[in-house]
Amino acid sequence: MDADTLIADSAERLFSEQVDKVVRERAEAGTLDERLWALACEGGFHRLLASEAVGGFGQRWAEAWPVLRGIGYWQVPLPLAETMVAGLLLSWAGIEVPDGPLTMIEQGLFDTLRAEAGGGTLRLSGTVHRVPWARHAAAAVVSLADGGIALVGLQGEPGVTIEPAFNHAKIPSDSVVLADAPAVAHHAAPLPLVKPAWALGALARSAMMVGALEFVLEQSACYATERVQFGKPIGRNQALQQNLAVLAGDVAAARVASLVAAADAPDAARPIAPEAPFSIAVAKVRCGEAATRGTGIAHQVHGAIGFTYEHALHFATRRLWAWREEFGSDAWWAERLGQAAIAGRSAGFWPSLTARRFPASASD
Amino acid sequence: MRGLQIEPIPPHEMPPRCEALRAEVRAFLAEALADVPQQRRARSWSGASEQFSRKMAARGWIGMTWPKRYGGGERSPLERYVVLEEMLAAGAPVGAHWTADRQSGPLLMRFSPEVLAPRIVPAITRGEAFFCIGMSEPDSGSDLASIRTRAVDTAQGWVINGRKVWTSGAHRAHYMIALVRTGEKSENRHAGLSQFLVDMKTPGITVRPIVNQLGEHDFNEVTLDDVRVPHENLIGQEGEGWKQVGAELAFERSGPERYLSTTQLLLEMLDAADPGSERHAVALGRVVAQYGTLRQMSLGVAGMLARGESPALAAALVKDQGALVEQAMPDLANDLFGGRPPPGSMLEWAMRYTALAVPSFSLRGGTREILRGIIARGLDLR
Repeated sequence: MDADTLIADSAERLFSEQVDKVVRERAEAGTLDERLWALACEGGFHRLLASEAVGGFGQRWAEAWPVLRGIGYWQVPLPLAETMVAGLLLSWAGIEVPDGPLTMIEQGLFDTLRAEAGGGTLRLSGTVHRVPWARHAAAAVVSLADGGIALVGLQGEPGVTIEPAFNHAKIPSDSVVLADAPAVAHHAAPLPLVKPAWALGALARSAMMVGALEFVLEQSACYATERVQFGKPIGRNQALQQNLAVLAGDVAAARVASLVAAADAPDAARPIAPEAPFSIAVAKVRCGEAATRGTGIAHQVHGAIGFTYEHALHFATRRLWAWREEFGSDAWWAERLGQAAIAGRSAGFWPSLTARRFPASASD
Repeated sequence: MRGLQIEPIPPHEMPPRCEALRAEVRAFLAEALADVPQQRRARSWSGASEQFSRKMAARGWIGMTWPKRYGGGERSPLERYVVLEEMLAAGAPVGAHWTADRQSGPLLMRFSPEVLAPRIVPAITRGEAFFCIGMSEPDSGSDLASIRTRAVDTAQGWVINGRKVWTSGAHRAHYMIALVRTGEKSENRHAGLSQFLVDMKTPGITVRPIVNQLGEHDFNEVTLDDVRVPHENLIGQEGEGWKQVGAELAFERSGPERYLSTTQLLLEMLDAADPGSERHAVALGRVVAQYGTLRQMSLGVAGMLARGESPALAAALVKDQGALVEQAMPDLANDLFGGRPPPGSMLEWAMRYTALAVPSFSLRGGTREILRGIIARGLDLR
């Protein structure tokens, strides 16, 4: 058995045995399931991407991808993706990964964050909304607009206030208010990827969306064969078959886009990855579009029962609505792809697509 | 639902020789297409130039993966894929040899390796033998098993009578591969079908053009009136035609031609787009993402075919997704530029041409409804 199926298999075992409806429901109160988190840490999943030098396992995205997909497929209410990505960012910065759950922030997109150096310490002020899991995170890795990395403690630190909020799925998505909050560690040199917390967050969300979409497809196909109306399973109706086929096509497309982005993404051992920005943008757009169309079809197939809190469908569909907007909606990423494509004009289009890189501007 | 998954070829595993070949193809196209008008490029693989096909053959780009003993190049399926996608992206008029290269040659080598393939396939690789596919009939479209064209075995060979329709390229093809009835239907309605190689010069064949709504002559009605073909022209086993066609369709449905057909309109839009417009950027960016994804899906299926798998389901997924993207292109152009391009401009021309062309994209090679039925079967719904 090779390393990647070992990780995938142990993640599948953990998630399928330990994550059920009770666990998902309990998490919606905003609490972190400490027992489940401890089990995930025992499996090493939280530090898969962090290098061995800073306390991780130095795996590639290809190995992390099945775990991220599993977070979506089993709707695992843990800050695993965030801790994983934060660990990778810290690896490039050469900062030891602190204990506990982590989250990450990209400065300069939708925030008022300012960083000031002085007296040997970097201090951060301003407000950042929609920071996943911030209330439970020991620290946030802040990807600074100048390309550097800062580590900021979030629990009981001076100048740190966390205002609780939730995303669609009732997973913590908090506002972090910083007032001269000191960075406990700071790495000034730029990282190999532009806006790395945002981009790698988008990549992780794409894999999580694929898992949730695969769950939604299976549930819908299964329900269509079980539910009988007019004397036959509703799945015998061509109208439903055609819609489910569209859903299957979207799931297949999302999966391929996300897998390619994972193969192109930089990791601890291979930090330079020129294809990553393009492939990640493609994946976030395509997975977001699949989430939009797919949730609609799944709910339509399930009828009224899928609209109840009792039924499990919404655990996946609400996550899809949350994840399609986190770390850049599909429209946000499409705008970047489109701006670059327009700048590259017709001559730049095909070479860019085959190289999986943003085209050079036609006027360059 | 394993069958519904497409395993993408890991991007970093594209061999470096593929990229060297890509550069070679681009250099060839820059020269070979210099005098091909843009209007012609917009026709994509519906455009045919026998001269262009022979230029490609001279480079060894027809039958690239086939054994040397058939005149092939014994190159890898990925190298072939690179050539195909470069041709299509540039709007090269590859239509003349397309069918022969994609499915007829492979069919002959697989099911008549010692008799028909040695005789015919080398001519395909030279760009001298073009093929058409005789499947649909006036009363048999999606319901292919209901075909009525019939071949009767006689001492002097098979005698074929019937009518084929929507036969693309029949007017320039040297051969047809015809699916005909040789036996009765049983409870298995797919039984009793066989495939024949038919020389289009055989007496009794009449090709009548059917002009499409673009005003172009691509498909035809082919009447077969006591057409005599030698016994050896039976391809594969008598009565196994349905199975053999199934294998062919995976090749027919997953290639890059299933998402690249409207590329010339996309290129015109990129040149006309306003760099300051968020609306233009978002809309065109979505197309870039869909192209990027479809390319990897199509490559993934190419990889599955290369490994000897027969990914009929995955191919159906690619074709259905590809047609959605292609067919949305003229509507998107209408959203962004409708009524505004300068009269007589290439953008205006491409918008009008493409709007007329795209309805056929979810009909040819299996209708959208048939493909989704195949996918639904993969979901155990039927």
